[in-house]
Amino acid sequence: MTDKRINPVSRRTFMQTTAAASAAFVLPGGVYMAGADVIRVGLIGCGGRGTGAAADCLQSSDGVELVALGDLTPDRLAQCRKALAEQAAGNASFAAKYKVTDERCFTGFDAYKKVLAADVHMVILATPPGFRPTHLAAAVAAGKHIFTEKPVAVDAAGIRSVLATYEQARQKGLGIAAGTQRRHQADYLSTIKRIHDGAIGDVVSGQVFWNQAGLWNRGREPEWSDTEWQIRNWLYFTWLSGDHIVEQHIHNIDVANWVLNAHPVKATAIGGRQWRTDPKYGHIYDHFSVDFEYPNGARVLSMCRQIDGTANRIGEHFIGTRGSSDAVNVILGPKAWTYDKPERPISGYVQEHTDLIASIRAGQPINELKQVAESTMTAILGREAAYTGQEVSWDELLKADQDLAPPQIAFGPLDVPAVAMPGRTKLNRKWSEATTI
Amino acid sequence: MSSRSTLPAATLVLALAVGTLHAGFQNTAPAETQTYRESIPGTLVTFEMVRVPEGSTTINGKTVPVAAFYIERTEATWDMYDVFALGLDIPKDRGRADAIARPSQPYGAPDYGWGHAGFPAISIARPAAQAFADWLSARTGKKYRLPTEAEWLHAAELAVGKTPLDAARRDALAWHKGNASAKTHAVGTKAADALGLFDLFGNAAEWVATPDGPAVARGGSFRDPPEAIGPSARAVQDDSWNERDPQLPKSRWWLSDGPFVGFRLVRSDHD
Repeated sequence: MTDKRINPVSRRTFMQTTAAASAAFVLPGGVYMAGADVIRVGLIGCGGRGTGAAADCLQSSDGVELVALGDLTPDRLAQCRKALAEQAAGNASFAAKYKVTDERCFTGFDAYKKVLAADVHMVILATPPGFRPTHLAAAVAAGKHIFTEKPVAVDAAGIRSVLATYEQARQKGLGIAAGTQRRHQADYLSTIKRIHDGAIGDVVSGQVFWNQAGLWNRGREPEWSDTEWQIRNWLYFTWLSGDHIVEQHIHNIDVANWVLNAHPVKATAIGGRQWRTDPKYGHIYDHFSVDFEYPNGARVLSMCRQIDGTANRIGEHFIGTRGSSDAVNVILGPKAWTYDKPERPISGYVQEHTDLIASIRAGQPINELKQVAESTMTAILGREAAYTGQEVSWDELLKADQDLAPPQIAFGPLDVPAVAMPGRTKLNRKWSEATTI
Repeated sequence: MSSRSTLPAATLVLALAVGTLHAGFQNTAPAETQTYRESIPGTLVTFEMVRVPEGSTTINGKTVPVAAFYIERTEATWDMYDVFALGLDIPKDRGRADAIARPSQPYGAPDYGWGHAGFPAISIARPAAQAFADWLSARTGKKYRLPTEAEWLHAAELAVGKTPLDAARRDALAWHKGNASAKTHAVGTKAADALGLFDLFGNAAEWVATPDGPAVARGGSFRDPPEAIGPSARAVQDDSWNERDPQLPKSRWWLSDGPFVGFRLVRSDHD
């Protein structure tokens, strides 16, 4: 089979840039050039979502190939290969794009470097979020296009790193799409365009929710060191996940920033760890509620909970001076409107890859890194307002001396930070200080 | 733990509500000896089974005999499924661990936030519904299972006859696209059919056992137009029913895009 194919992409929803599609786009070495050849993709972080994202990417577009995999542990990498091989077994076009070989499978903390060096044009970053700033910086330094899962950081130091990486990516003309897939769903796009066009007047307030049951826990095997146990159960450690408000509720917070075309200036919040108290759940909270204040004075209430047996609610609601909307389907008020849902809507999880790859081929790569960094930081702002019990401003957090990563990340002994205590936990803190509040 | 103390209270309300509804259709319901109420041990959750007499139905042009069996009066509710999924039957001092494979923690809201206590359990993959029936069988000592397609169809034909439902009858019996506001509703809030069953058509479509075949749900759901629900309504699962599960492998317990499918347990007369 030939390794060189030219396949134009038909589906694009994000912008009209076809005019640029035929123009050669001269970029630094290693960067995919517009409109030609196969785009070779590497996956960094082979868990369930990373594996799913790789499959979504291959499904999204012609002329893409998955060629390299990297993960911390051999067992997760093997599970990923098995799942992708099963996908390929039943689907010839998928199989033709799945080109991973033993020589391009890498494990260990430095697996990401090896994937970046494996002759790829693009990487999918899907490790636990605590590693994301490092991986983003390395991928941009190596001149790779990126699909990055959300969130993109877990603390102030990470946010500053990612914002600097965004500037470098912009200067290099690299494409970066983020796993905030609502931004690529036709229902959200159609509804929020109407809101931006004034369908509900000026947006004055909103409510965003992700209330659901608890999530998975991998338990602990005797052979796992403290570090390995924490990384395998990364949801439950703030230095890895950012806590569930950052890891999961970011989706709804991102919609608020999108609708309001802004990020908040400050936040007040409450939260706690009421139900998920077993040590196997690390030290994160199980519920938060935040009042975000935006520059125009608009207020958004955010609420998130992960507690079994409680009422589920996932979604958004916005109130304007002349109507209201759920941001995804319905506008109420004088300009009432309902989204006409197609019989088989295209999944946002696939469309985000379609849009990224089409933009790269068109020579005008999208770059969502700043946008997702701001939504990540908004979620961190809410978390910090809850953890500290203080009103926290955007500017204060952006400057905060806050780095939650352990000083050395290697397999071995690693304490569990204390549960944050409002009134005592400080915004400016390091991992070591967080363990001894 | 809060989940264990609040759920039985909610289900007690459901049981009372179902009892009240039952009183309302006594004229059309079978004799009392042909129904029984099952309790899930260790909880206050109960559900009612109704006997379906033997008979036959026609599938693919062939007459299929159907032995007498019992079928749930309503679609299986979250109250029932939560006991299995959340381990509410496990004594507190044993934590959540026991030898039975339980559903994974769902990502997102399988009930879509439409309602929980008293609502049909939805977004549940067919093997998970079968696992629930197996677990319930072990707990109660009676063999509960999903209906065969012939059993479901036989019950449906006894419930409303073999001729298509007219519009007024559909509206009285069923939540469909024209009256459901695009969501499920609490079980037993429409009229009972001639067998004394609720929501056999519309609300949630219902899994049937199809050994060696694709996963099939019968009866139509709240998403289907009124003319598409009824005994002949038949949906075959495809990839779109679990499309938005962002993980690979996708969940084998939950269907990310299956809020229109639930199930109703049956039990053979002799089991």
